[in-house]
Order: sequence, then structure tokens, then C-alpha cells
Amino acid sequence: MKTNGGFAVRFIILSVCVAFSALVGERTVAAHHAGTMFSEDVKEISGVIKEFQFTNPHTWIQVMVETKAGAPQQEWSVEWGSPNQLGRRGVRPSTFKPGAKVTMRINPMRDGSPAAGFVGAKFADGTTVGDWK
Amino acid sequence: MRLLRIAVVALLAAPAAAGAQTLPDWTGVWQMVGGTVFDRATMVGRGGALSAGVRERPPYNAQWEAIYQRNLKLRDNEQLPDPINTCGTPAGFPRVMNVPDMYEFVVRPEQTWILTENGPNILRIYTDGRAHPAPEDRWPTYTGDSVGKWEGDTLVFTTLSIKNSNWPTEGDTVLDRTGLVLSDAAHITTRLRRVDAKTMEARMVIEDPKALTAPWTVTKTYARQPDGTRVYDYGCAENNRNPVDASGKTLLLGPGGEKFGQ
Repeated sequence: MKTNGGFAVRFIILSVCVAFSALVGERTVAAHHAGTMFSEDVKEISGVIKEFQFTNPHTWIQVMVETKAGAPQQEWSVEWGSPNQLGRRGVRPSTFKPGAKVTMRINPMRDGSPAAGFVGAKFADGTTVGDWK
Repeated sequence: MRLLRIAVVALLAAPAAAGAQTLPDWTGVWQMVGGTVFDRATMVGRGGALSAGVRERPPYNAQWEAIYQRNLKLRDNEQLPDPINTCGTPAGFPRVMNVPDMYEFVVRPEQTWILTENGPNILRIYTDGRAHPAPEDRWPTYTGDSVGKWEGDTLVFTTLSIKNSNWPTEGDTVLDRTGLVLSDAAHITTRLRRVDAKTMEARMVIEDPKALTAPWTVTKTYARQPDGTRVYDYGCAENNRNPVDASGKTLLLGPGGEKFGQ
């Protein structure tokens, strides 16, 4: 895994926090509303970051996903914790830079809409964010 | 001469120091320990519950047990219209003791303030000797009216005049996402203290002659966060992409405002 100094430390802490949340059974996304709209299944999507909305009450990672080769991209909305919670754990508005290629693990919406709860992400350079084992 | 001056200053200062209340040090930033289920002994089923559990509390009477059962059904149908989701009302008391994110406990001689990042919320506890307003001079509010006194390092305060929570049909204040409610007759006695360097504890004894058949005791603890921890602005309406529809269901808005999850 390619990382750099403090960045890596922060994300190790972040991973521990996420793992702890999983242990106590509360999702990090559930601060403002219940997480029942999301399946507990973990699915992977790959695409390019369009925008990281670092806003309350939840952050949103907008990612353009190519579902089939040559097909139009589909925009996914991936919901994460509040910027306050995540900011204290080392996440920054620059964590998901527009244009970055990413593979994301998500809890998809139960109704099949292109939206999900965030689990973890891996960038093209091998760095990871969130829960990625 | 200098010794005499010191002695005089000491004598003058002594009465003031003896009369002053020694207030505890609750500085720092704190976070509630555990999830936002108000009392784990109430847990049944899913949706905010940490896991399926054996229901022990609260000791509702038949009428309020029926209200709670209705709310549990709404929760299971994902139609519990949690007022917190609308970004519009305070958490209220006692839910203010049960929110995620950071807490600060600001101790002053005449008041103690509990500030929560989430919301944000403010609980004011008067310790200047005043009593609760007379019944004809008070009206229900989300946070109610809190007055208290110091017993050593413990702040003991009572809260009453909270909104009627026969919710969602009448009131607005609930205790958590599972649909726990209290009536406007609730009278809550809280003992708030710093147990050790890293832990604050709030022990709440809830009496509610309309809703409960016995006092209901709930203890919440708060862990001190590392020095230098910052508390941030929390604008719930800043980018709320999870509005609640007319049926009480929480939706998810897509990038163009399209409604997912209907």
C-alpha cells in the first residue's frame, strides 16, 4: 500500500474508528437519520470522483461510474458521516479530489437507486480510506 | 511590614474564599459513550437498535405502551418521522443527553450550560437558587426548565415542563430513534458528575405519572476527548439530502434533487 506519513497514520486511525463503529453496530452514516435504507451487503463500484460535498449533516461523495464499457456514466451518491466527525479523524475536503479514479465499497440502497452508504475506498495509487481490508 | 501586609490581605480574602462554591473542573470536549439508543434495556428489533435484545424498560402503563408499540411499528416500516431528521427542532430534554458528536459542560456559579455540537443544542441549568416557575407561569418547551444545586462535585438538577410527547400525533419531543416518548408530566432528576479524569456521568431518574408505572433510571456516560479537539459548526439544513416525506419516510435525494427510496 502506497501512503505517505501522517496521511497513513490518520487513515489507520480512521479505519480503527470505522471498525469500532462496526463492532458496536452503529453505522457512521447514521448520525442524522437511520441507516435502514441501505442494505448491509457490500458492493464494489469503480469510477471517477465528480465532487466531495463536505457538508452537514452528512458528506456526499459523487462518483461517476461506468456500468458497461462504452455506456454513459451513471452518477452515484455515496453518503458518509458528518464533516465534523470525519474531520476529527483526518478526512479533509481534499480526500476525494475531483477526477481521481477510485474503487469504492458501499452499502447500496435497498431499492436499487444509484446511492449508497460509504464503507471504504481505494485510489489508483493504492491508498485507502475508511474500511478496506 | 511586608509580612503584615500579606497577613492583612489574607484576612480580607478569607471570608470571600470561604463563602465561594468550589466548582468542579469539567473543561474539555466530551463524547457520549455508546450508540444513541436511549436505554439499551429498551432494545427490540432493528432500526437504531444495536441488536435484538430483551426488552426490560421503560415501565410504561398500558396506554403509553400502546403508543410505544405504534412507534416501533412505524420504525420497522421506516416511517418513524424523527423530528431530528427535519433539521428544525431542538433535541429537547432528555434527548439532549443522548446525541452523537461532541459535548461541552460549562460550569459557572449561577448556571451550568451543556452544549452539544449535534443540533446544536443548549441545556441551561440554573444554580442561582431560583425555583421552577409556578405552573401558571410556565409552558412546555422542548428542553423544559432545569434548576439545580451542587452536592459536592455533583450537580443535581430537576427538569420539568417538557413538551407533551404523545407523538407523532400531538407532540414533537422523542427520546431516540426507536420512538421512546414521555408525557408532559415527566419530572426528571439528573445527577451529573465527573467520575474520573476521563469520564462524565449523567444519571437520570425519570418519573412520569401519566406514562410510567415506576421511576425509570437511565445512565449515560461521556468520554473526554484528546486535548485540542475542536468542536465544529453543525448546520443541519446546510445540505440535508435526507428529507422526510408526508408518510414519515426518510428519503435520499440524488444530485438533481430526484427522490430515491420512495
